[in-house]
Amino acid sequence: MTAQIELKNIDKHYGAFHALKKVSLSIEKGSFVALVGPSGCGKSTLLRSIAGLETITSGDLHIAGKEMTGVPPRHRDIAMVFQSYALYPHMTVEENLTYSLRLHGVGKAEAKAKAAEVAATTGLSALLSRYPRQLSGGQRQRVAMGRAIIRNPKAFLFDEPLSNLDAALRVQMRKEIRALHDRLGATSVYVTHDQIEAMTMADWVVVMRDGVIEQQGRPLDLYDQPVNRFVAGFIGSPAMNFVDGVISEDGRGVVVGAGDRIPLARQAEPNRKVVAGVRPENLRVAEGAASFHFEVGNVESTGSATYLTSKDGALQLVQTERLGFSVGDRVGLDIDPALVHLFDPQTGARI
Amino acid sequence: MTRPYVPWLLVVVALALAAVYLFPLYWMYVTSFKSGSEIFANPPTFWPREIDLSIYPNVWTRRTMHVFLWNSTLIAAGVTAITVIFGTGCAYVLARYRNVWLDIGLFSVLMLQVLPASVMVTPLFVAFNQFGLLNYPRTAVVLAAAAKAMPFFVVLVRATFMTVPRELEEAALVDGNSRVGAFFSIVLPLARNGILVCAILTFMSSFGEYIYSKSIIQAPALQPASVGLSGFLGPNSTDWNAIMAYSAIYVTPILAVFVLLQRRIVSGLTSGALK
Repeated sequence: MTAQIELKNIDKHYGAFHALKKVSLSIEKGSFVALVGPSGCGKSTLLRSIAGLETITSGDLHIAGKEMTGVPPRHRDIAMVFQSYALYPHMTVEENLTYSLRLHGVGKAEAKAKAAEVAATTGLSALLSRYPRQLSGGQRQRVAMGRAIIRNPKAFLFDEPLSNLDAALRVQMRKEIRALHDRLGATSVYVTHDQIEAMTMADWVVVMRDGVIEQQGRPLDLYDQPVNRFVAGFIGSPAMNFVDGVISEDGRGVVVGAGDRIPLARQAEPNRKVVAGVRPENLRVAEGAASFHFEVGNVESTGSATYLTSKDGALQLVQTERLGFSVGDRVGLDIDPALVHLFDPQTGARI
Repeated sequence: MTRPYVPWLLVVVALALAAVYLFPLYWMYVTSFKSGSEIFANPPTFWPREIDLSIYPNVWTRRTMHVFLWNSTLIAAGVTAITVIFGTGCAYVLARYRNVWLDIGLFSVLMLQVLPASVMVTPLFVAFNQFGLLNYPRTAVVLAAAAKAMPFFVVLVRATFMTVPRELEEAALVDGNSRVGAFFSIVLPLARNGILVCAILTFMSSFGEYIYSKSIIQAPALQPASVGLSGFLGPNSTDWNAIMAYSAIYVTPILAVFVLLQRRIVSGLTSGALK
């Protein structure tokens, strides 16, 4: 595998604001990479730097082996799908699709044929002579996609393309984008603040915060082995529970309150203060003796799952069976010791 | 007073104000139709007893109006061309980039708008004299009036450009266009309505330009209609119906353009260009 996009020590300053701090990232050819993080983490800035819409303050950028650091966007041969779709309102769907081809001197007939072909794959064939304002949100989204794929670029960049769609359409487009990626064998970089999009679509997830890459890896590796408390809390929905506690004398559990202790699968340093992380879906309601307890503060049922939240709001629990608890009940909980994560209370790093 | 009556009251107030504002226009047309004796009748008549249209062709030939109107058109066209070509680029830059120097630039543009033409005309006259521009008086007036029209145009067109989303331009850049190409193929077509409206307003206001023309252009053959009209007026003018006929010939085309385009002008000024 070769790197299609290679970033080395990218720095970006906006005046006094340090948006990207020595970011290095290698994106394999043909892979689907998601950049994910809370707003203001620098993920969009990173994407726009790859596109050439932002100039990077220092660092090196290579696309398909060529130095692209100072090259204007039009010579980078990349395509981008914007959050607002950025369709040209004064052009028909066909003109929108063929705009880049016409700029690159492709003949009229050939451009038309290409547009028809792309329209067929994106389900736009009947809409070619419409204007963007006459399209629904999902159709606009498809035009934006079609405009990107028509010229077979070296990489696709997506800047939160689904955030303007309603929930049902978002789930559908998620699959379509991924299917399109697989069919074209393209290299895609996808920016989102929605970790579910990142987890479901990407081969490789990059979690960012404050201009720094916190962790990158395969989606399930991030879920199973988060390197710090931030990644642990960001990946997974509902978010991981964090409980303050102290390692017990024997080092085989975390004491979290009067008589309650979360079991550990391995030996830990006794008497050390830690933050224990347990995912809501990994907690079980104990049948017999419980290792720890909580008081029910809120019960939500979606039919397929029941969400219990503790009275102090610190703990959440998801069960697929229907639970007959009501507010105020004291529930005994159990967990597989192998699924307990430990973090340092000060640095947040994984122990 | 109950609620539904308030809009009616406001409509009445608006109509009354409009009537006051438009009365001179009405008086101009009516007087031009009257005979000499009826003009001085007391009490005045609000509708002429007999309409006499012969004064129109009469004034047109007697005052060589075709020359004056041609000069007005020439000056207005020149002012509009300069304003649109330079003002559009200026407005675009002011809409897209933000820094201290551009803020100062915008501020000085607005300052220019504040300075009245009657104050500016003397220094401009001296400067034009030194450059020898007074030998080309119409060109001199075009330059002076364009400088006066520019701030208004820049400020309005800047607002139009701000309604064009930046992402469209970025999409064009990624699609393979240059900055200049993106400006011409994406931004300009979308801002076209706003620019057009501002250009029409500029044309109409410079069609009536008076102060610069009056002081800079001496030769009657080069004067615009506004100056030609003032040549009519004197302390002993009695030729009121001819003067009003002249004014009517001068004003009617502008009014017609405005009435025809008023819907576009109003929407262009208020809603921006994206539609």
